[in-house]
Amino acid sequence: MDTIRGAKRNESRAAWIMVTPALLGLALTIALPFLIALVLSVTRYKLDTPLPVLFVGLEQFTRIFSDQSFLRALLNNLVFALVIVPVQTAAALALAMLLNRPLRVMPFFRTIFFLPVIFPMALVAIVWELIYAPGPNGLLNAFLSLVSFGNWQPVDFLNDPVWAMPAIMLLSLWQGVGFQMIIMLAGLQGIPRSLYEAAIIDGAGLWQQFFHITLPQMRNTIIFVALVTTILAFRLFDQVWILTQGGPNRATTTVIFETVRVVFKRQDVARGAAMSVVFFLVVLSITLIQHLYMKQHREVE
Amino acid sequence: MKKNPYQNYPLFLLMSAITVCCLLIGGCSSNSEQATGPVTLNVWFHTGRPAEQRVMEDQVARFNVSHKEISIALTMIPEGDYNTQVQAAASDGKLPDLLDLDGPFLANYAWRGHLAPLDGNLVDSLKDDLLPSIIKQGTYNGKVYALGTFDSGLGLYGNRQLLEAVNARIPQQPEEAWSKAEFQAILRKLAARDPDGMVLDLRLDYDGEWYTYAFSPVIESAGGDLINRASYQSAKGVLNGRQAIDAMQEIQSWFAKGYVTPNTDANSFVDGRVALSWCGHWEFPRYQNALGEKLVLIPLPDLGEGSKTGMGSWCWAITKKSKHKKEAMAFLQFLLQKDEVLAMSKANGAVPATYSAIAESDLYGAGGMLNLFVRQLQKSAVPRPITPGYPVITSAFQEAFLDIKNGAEVKATLDKAVRIIDEDISDNEGYRFIDQ
Amino acid sequence: MNFKKHHQPFFPELAKRSFLYLFLSIMLLVYIAPVLFMVVSSFKPDARVLSDGNSLCAFLPVAASLKNYHDVFSRIHFNRILFNSLFITGMIVAGGLLINSIAGYALARLQWKGRNLVLGLILAILVIPFESIAVPLFYQFSLIGWRDSYQVQIIPFLADAFSIYLFYSFFIGMPKELEEAARIDGAGPWKTFVFIIIPNSKPVFATVAVLTFLMRWGSYLWPLMVTTGETYRPLPVAMAAFESQVKLWGDIMAFGVMMVAPILIVFLVFQKWFVKGVAASDTGRKG
Repeated sequence: MDTIRGAKRNESRAAWIMVTPALLGLALTIALPFLIALVLSVTRYKLDTPLPVLFVGLEQFTRIFSDQSFLRALLNNLVFALVIVPVQTAAALALAMLLNRPLRVMPFFRTIFFLPVIFPMALVAIVWELIYAPGPNGLLNAFLSLVSFGNWQPVDFLNDPVWAMPAIMLLSLWQGVGFQMIIMLAGLQGIPRSLYEAAIIDGAGLWQQFFHITLPQMRNTIIFVALVTTILAFRLFDQVWILTQGGPNRATTTVIFETVRVVFKRQDVARGAAMSVVFFLVVLSITLIQHLYMKQHREVE
Repeated sequence: MKKNPYQNYPLFLLMSAITVCCLLIGGCSSNSEQATGPVTLNVWFHTGRPAEQRVMEDQVARFNVSHKEISIALTMIPEGDYNTQVQAAASDGKLPDLLDLDGPFLANYAWRGHLAPLDGNLVDSLKDDLLPSIIKQGTYNGKVYALGTFDSGLGLYGNRQLLEAVNARIPQQPEEAWSKAEFQAILRKLAARDPDGMVLDLRLDYDGEWYTYAFSPVIESAGGDLINRASYQSAKGVLNGRQAIDAMQEIQSWFAKGYVTPNTDANSFVDGRVALSWCGHWEFPRYQNALGEKLVLIPLPDLGEGSKTGMGSWCWAITKKSKHKKEAMAFLQFLLQKDEVLAMSKANGAVPATYSAIAESDLYGAGGMLNLFVRQLQKSAVPRPITPGYPVITSAFQEAFLDIKNGAEVKATLDKAVRIIDEDISDNEGYRFIDQ
Repeated sequence: MNFKKHHQPFFPELAKRSFLYLFLSIMLLVYIAPVLFMVVSSFKPDARVLSDGNSLCAFLPVAASLKNYHDVFSRIHFNRILFNSLFITGMIVAGGLLINSIAGYALARLQWKGRNLVLGLILAILVIPFESIAVPLFYQFSLIGWRDSYQVQIIPFLADAFSIYLFYSFFIGMPKELEEAARIDGAGPWKTFVFIIIPNSKPVFATVAVLTFLMRWGSYLWPLMVTTGETYRPLPVAMAAFESQVKLWGDIMAFGVMMVAPILIVFLVFQKWFVKGVAASDTGRKG
């Protein structure tokens, strides 16, 4: 009996030792800052100020919700997510289906399509800055002119209120789709061939196979990819900071961009903290909604 | 089968120890700047042009040789985000002994208590030799906190050949500057002859502080300002008043009419694609190299209240926490010697800070190509607002400028900038002076 | 994926396959064009990078030289910056594997009071995106004077809820017989972990290593906030600073190529693990 109790104590102690470094890390680098954000968000504290700290209740929140830039940022993030999630997910699925063949060149193709994923977003942004160069010499302008037989008027993509956001979307998609493609591929390869074989015997065509077998079997994977992409869409920052600084006229501003700008250009760390809190609540809501949706569907089945 | 129960502990301890050690080494290596012997002076310098960098390194090397008891450790920081970085370093008390600051930000650092006044060490002979603009830029609340070894010049570089082709008058003095109507006419005529209609280079390849430096003078030329300089408490009525709105609408019209080049490769002027380049002293060497005799320097257009131009540049300040203030001052005095001022001016093309250096400068002395800059500093240059609230003022103006450039409604945009500025000033209790 | 068991004439099949190859190859070229453009431009004189945009020359290394590469090295300490990225990412991966794996194991396989509470905490923390605590974290570190160093770029990322969750999911799915054999031999939790669990968990270690590496290598926001100058700055931030200094596009592209080259080599060598790791990030599968 003693040995068992001793072993259990030993196990308990070992478990606590094993879990402590990570727990400590999470507490100090996530939980603590989170609390600090809450505290800062109800003050007027500016970085490195010689003035005494004032508590001002929900003033920062009132301010940010009456700030056109912040509201536009929220809208932009939402629009970005609403476009990117279906497009990137569909593209990833399409690519995965195209590459899901036991041909010897497929690993090569897969590698190439995955390549942009290992490029830092900062690098991708800068290369695409060149591609989006204004005037007829810009790579994209030249290409569009070519495929439209000269009917395309050169556009300054990153400075055009209409084209700036789509430009950011395109390069983000280019960088990210490879990652989702690999996940989709793994999902596709998990679908039993017997299902397809049975369907073909029943006379099902390609589209029917897709809608009745592929999609339902891939449901969980697709939802997972959609969820991750949505969260990533709200974290949009690098490209915007480097390429457009939120412009033109807030066309590409995002929540994180506004937050960083307010802290670094105006030293207003209290306002930045308030924005961080709002950002967290938005992401939390989305995650909960998607979880609820998934749960509902599971119950239906 | 009893195995040693502690057999695997050494492995784990070893792995953990290695990880921890690496972290500590990484941490310690950042703190181990202990030098023995001569006093180590930590100096930060912004990296602008390579030539500037080389002169600085050379000056440090020569100073180290001639002052054996001081050893300067020079850190170069890219100019692009220099201000942001210095602000952040100031926030956590990691400033060096001596650093150069972008002039207009000086008041903010002094207000926060980071800088030590230089007054005690300023001899009259030096004070008299310095351009008044240098002293003014370095003064906050009655005390001198920083001195620059050069000041800046801002103007309109012109391609004489292209301008004469449209019969444009070429003014030489700030008093002779083009009027608003005249400038519009010149732009129109230039555009008519230009294949892509883009004739004006506003250095859009720069960003950040450039917008405030280069374009707030336009507002001042029209009679507005960035902030009410009577008490520096509000921007209402000056930044969003009728004159400021007119000025920004004028600038917006240049964009709307397609006169302005995006200048993606920074070469539109040197390649002769545009006739005018709104730029500062630092591009003179490159421009002269490309255009030679065709290069002219023209004062900025006069929008009603006289041609105004920008001024202010990098200046050296000593930090309050520095334990080597005397040594820092010695280096600063070294840098302000006539020959050193000239050396830096030759490298970066900036206006020398002292009259004695100007007299000996080919470019800036009487009759020199850039003498206009000196005259501007004496007559028509307006310093950016000298107030601790400047970082927010410039940030708000930059945002506004970008929006206006992209076609936003001018009044609403300027109103928003004023709101941001006023809110910040009131949040900071009017930037009242705090004794520290 | 040819399941058709009926008789099919040969030629349409060949035509279909050729068409597929052609289609894929075109897509590939278009897709990889930006990378080609970057590499080719890195060898060209700066002015030509922009002016060649409207012709095929954009993808052909005309007027090629190594000048841009020399420029990069003469303008900044590229080696130092590369080392920074490698060191920081390496430490995060190594340290993270260490502390997250043992936490995951403790949660999955050991019996202890508070286990469910801690598990719940971890799952709760999973929801908190980094950006929502970046600002206060920055403030925290500036209070203790740790800005602009290696520690500040490593420590916040060692403990990672998602990694712990991946380890936990994997360990939970391991057959209990392995540990029971060890228990009979008298091995305690540590020994079991090191000698039984780790050797049988290569997939999850690879997955976590790969995903952590991918996430941290391109990290921009945090290093941007905390580093000053080149000393501790990693590649992505250094590149953006480089680009904003002077618009010498040839140099900038050369920087990009050098930045991507080491990563590319690592990727090509460990390709299999990369792909498996990414595929397994959807935790419903084991890669």
